[in-house]
Amino acid sequence: MEEYILEMKNITKKFPKVIANEDVTINLKKGEILALLGENGAGKSTLMNILYGLYKPTSGEINLDGEKVQFHSPKDAIKHNLGMVHQHFMLVENLTVTENIILGEEPGNAGFINYNLARKKVKELSKKFKLEIDPDEKIENLSVGLQQRVEILKALYRKAKILILDEPTAVLTPQEIEKLFEVIKDLVKTGVSVIIITHKLEEVLDIADRVYILRRGKLVGERNTKGVTKNELANMMVGRDVVLTVTRTPKKRGEKPTLKINNLVVYNSKKLKAVNNVSLEVYPGEIVGIAGVDGNGQTELAEAIIGFRDSYEGQIILDNYSLPINDKTQKNSLNSILNKLFFENNFVKGRLDRGISIVPADRQRHGLILEMQVAENLILGYQGKGKFWEHNILKWKNIYNFSDELIKKYDIRTPNSKNIASNLSGGNQQKVILAREFSKTPKFALIVQPTRGLDVGAIEYIHKRILEMRDANCAILLISLELEEIFSLSDRILVMYNGQITKEFKTEETDQMEVGFYMMGGDKTKVKEA
Amino acid sequence: MEKLIKNNTIYYLLISISILFLAIGVTLYMGEYFYGLIFIFLSILIYLLANLNSNKKDGFKEFLKQKFKVILYPLIGIFVSLIVGGIIMIISGYNPFEAYAALFYGGFYKNWGTAVINATPLIFTGLAIAFAFQANLFNIGAEGQYYIGAMVAAFLGLYIKLPPIFSLLIIFLVGSFIAGIYNIIPAWLKVKTGASEVITTMMFAHIARYFSPIFIRSFGGDPTAGSKHPYVTDKILETNRLPTMKSFLPNADYRIHTGILIAIVLAIVVYYILFYTKLGYDIRAVGKNINAAKMQGINTGKIIFITLIISGMLAGFSGVSQITGLEHKLAQELNAGYGWNGISVALLASNDPIAVVFTALLWGALDAGGQYMQRNIGISGAIVEIIKGIILFLVVARYIYNYFYNKYFKKEEFVSAEERV
Repeated sequence: MEEYILEMKNITKKFPKVIANEDVTINLKKGEILALLGENGAGKSTLMNILYGLYKPTSGEINLDGEKVQFHSPKDAIKHNLGMVHQHFMLVENLTVTENIILGEEPGNAGFINYNLARKKVKELSKKFKLEIDPDEKIENLSVGLQQRVEILKALYRKAKILILDEPTAVLTPQEIEKLFEVIKDLVKTGVSVIIITHKLEEVLDIADRVYILRRGKLVGERNTKGVTKNELANMMVGRDVVLTVTRTPKKRGEKPTLKINNLVVYNSKKLKAVNNVSLEVYPGEIVGIAGVDGNGQTELAEAIIGFRDSYEGQIILDNYSLPINDKTQKNSLNSILNKLFFENNFVKGRLDRGISIVPADRQRHGLILEMQVAENLILGYQGKGKFWEHNILKWKNIYNFSDELIKKYDIRTPNSKNIASNLSGGNQQKVILAREFSKTPKFALIVQPTRGLDVGAIEYIHKRILEMRDANCAILLISLELEEIFSLSDRILVMYNGQITKEFKTEETDQMEVGFYMMGGDKTKVKEA
Repeated sequence: MEKLIKNNTIYYLLISISILFLAIGVTLYMGEYFYGLIFIFLSILIYLLANLNSNKKDGFKEFLKQKFKVILYPLIGIFVSLIVGGIIMIISGYNPFEAYAALFYGGFYKNWGTAVINATPLIFTGLAIAFAFQANLFNIGAEGQYYIGAMVAAFLGLYIKLPPIFSLLIIFLVGSFIAGIYNIIPAWLKVKTGASEVITTMMFAHIARYFSPIFIRSFGGDPTAGSKHPYVTDKILETNRLPTMKSFLPNADYRIHTGILIAIVLAIVVYYILFYTKLGYDIRAVGKNINAAKMQGINTGKIIFITLIISGMLAGFSGVSQITGLEHKLAQELNAGYGWNGISVALLASNDPIAVVFTALLWGALDAGGQYMQRNIGISGAIVEIIKGIILFLVVARYIYNYFYNKYFKKEEFVSAEERV
């Protein structure tokens, strides 16, 4: 048997509603690059957070160098020479590189920090590991790639022997990724072991020696990257038991597209191109599903469509009307000029008025006002409609009648319409959003992650309602990370990878494996090879 | 009887009588006529009678339930702080029962007039702060807007010569309007740059406060104006003063002015705006979840802007009412503190406009009672400040209870690992 420096045995972690890890056993050899592969919510991050002392496992044990250890906090983990670089960096923006690296373990004595010594140490470290960086630069002036480098240096400064990288490439440009991989390969030569959490197949093959595949909290396999194919990994990662709950009746879609997007380009908050030249059409009476692994530009695309985020260029056309996508494309009116000068430009209102409905991904953050009544939530977004207010005065009678009606129609479980929305269960909260959005009888509905975190019953109900909307000739764009959901609802499937629509399928002519493969960035030629 | 009430005409008649009784009762009570309370109780009884058989009854129950939640923490706060205050008094060698008897007798009965006078400006500033809080904005600079309102009122009061009704209307509108305008820069900075309104309105408050001595020196300094030192403006014209309660209730304290009635009406107006208008709905939506509000097409920048300006106007009313009603001149006193105390009043009222009236009166009564207690029993009135401090601490401390409650009693909610890190 080979010497393992780290063994995690039979780890189980239960949260009140979800089992995040179930009986997972992984090992790490010295000087190895190990990858943890899995979809979002597969339990990779939870597993690593347990290792790093952020969570306590419900059962199972961790052995370091053959000795059983128990971590109560990251402090313990650091003491045992573990280092973790989180997806979101934990750096102090307005301190310098040196200050950030030594934070928590400052050289010097009697409360005074020996900055010269610290700087020298950082320089030595960066030379040793070939991680060039200016120790006196402030973090806020560094690019994301360099910030990550600082995080790695910080871990090494604390003498990390095992380095955990959580989705290290999610925020990097291709050039930065290349550099990072070189750095990792050099690190390993000095005796450091690296664990990379990722959901990108290419990366696994590029850099890792060995890979564990997790699916829904369970370990589904272990492979050496030599000799394994992308296709095999993809199968292990997405393959799942299909539980189709609703049946989609065939329906002829309309003639003219309701929503048409031409060459849309959207930048994300890190100033990277998140949506790159996307074009698509949605016809009345059809559901178009966008499949893709999280972080491939779906969020930005959705926000651009509803006007929550400015696009850089391109067109979004709703029923022959070109919607404004940023300040420049907005037609000047007194209102828009006032907005520019004093308030803010809100493109959402114009879209809602033109008959767009939104079911946002994060229902508690963007969909509902949790501290308000159910009735108040049911009229949210009904801008300027005479039914619920006139001359700025609310018509409570109409509002309560309307909401009582919707509560009955959509089977929302609440004692009355004055109940505060946060008292409802997740499924009922989602029903409130669906009731509101669908009662507007929209021309076009953007539905993002409609069943995230819901139980089977609620999922079935919500799927039924969405299909009803389609049958009522609404054009629906569905963005979901759940392939199964995409398959059970969509008439057409678009695969989004790296900000682009890479492939279009008719649902009947494909299967989950094929779509899953494209979601991982595969292309036609490689399919044939495999 | 029940059938009778179902009749709409009768229903509205009863409601009208109830409102009329309430108005009479409140006016009498604020003018130190304590039998006004009888009218207030009658009004409530008639209201309940009118709603006896209608489906509004459930609504009323719901309403009481909600209000109970709002009242619970302040009540606990008051109760605990009285006990702590009592312990302090025992330690310093006084009889707490005697002292509290004096405090409440003085505050709520003997010196009730002073309590009302104290409360009037606090209601306005409390409303201003509570209103801003509804949009999750902290207008900490209400003190500054108070001074702006006071200066405008003093200026206009010195020069406007019109029949009293018109001149008062102009003074109130212009004074509050300019106080509202004073918040434009903080509002603009908040919306466009995200600069916290806590800092900007506070700085603007200092500017307004320290501008007032310059203003005073330009419009007065007449020793005959009733002050020993020259740092007051001249007295404003007789026609520009708010009528006193004494003018129609002969037994009232001569200093109580009708500003209190304006304040109470304004509290109802603010309540109406917040809960019965589209604007109020938008304000509350922005305050409770700005992301969802934005996602549903509410122009959040505009709402923040409007809220800060209205809040400034409400605080401005305070200054105007104080000048035209009570002081009739602007004196150089830089620690009026109505803005700062308004924060306490609003917090204690959980930002409910109607509750602000009660908490402001409580604050006023504690001050008035404290003076009475000091004069008659000899306990330092400072004990009142201690009690107020403890009440506020315990009310604000609900966040502390919530923290411990969530930490030890609430089950851990599932948050995916990706979200938590």
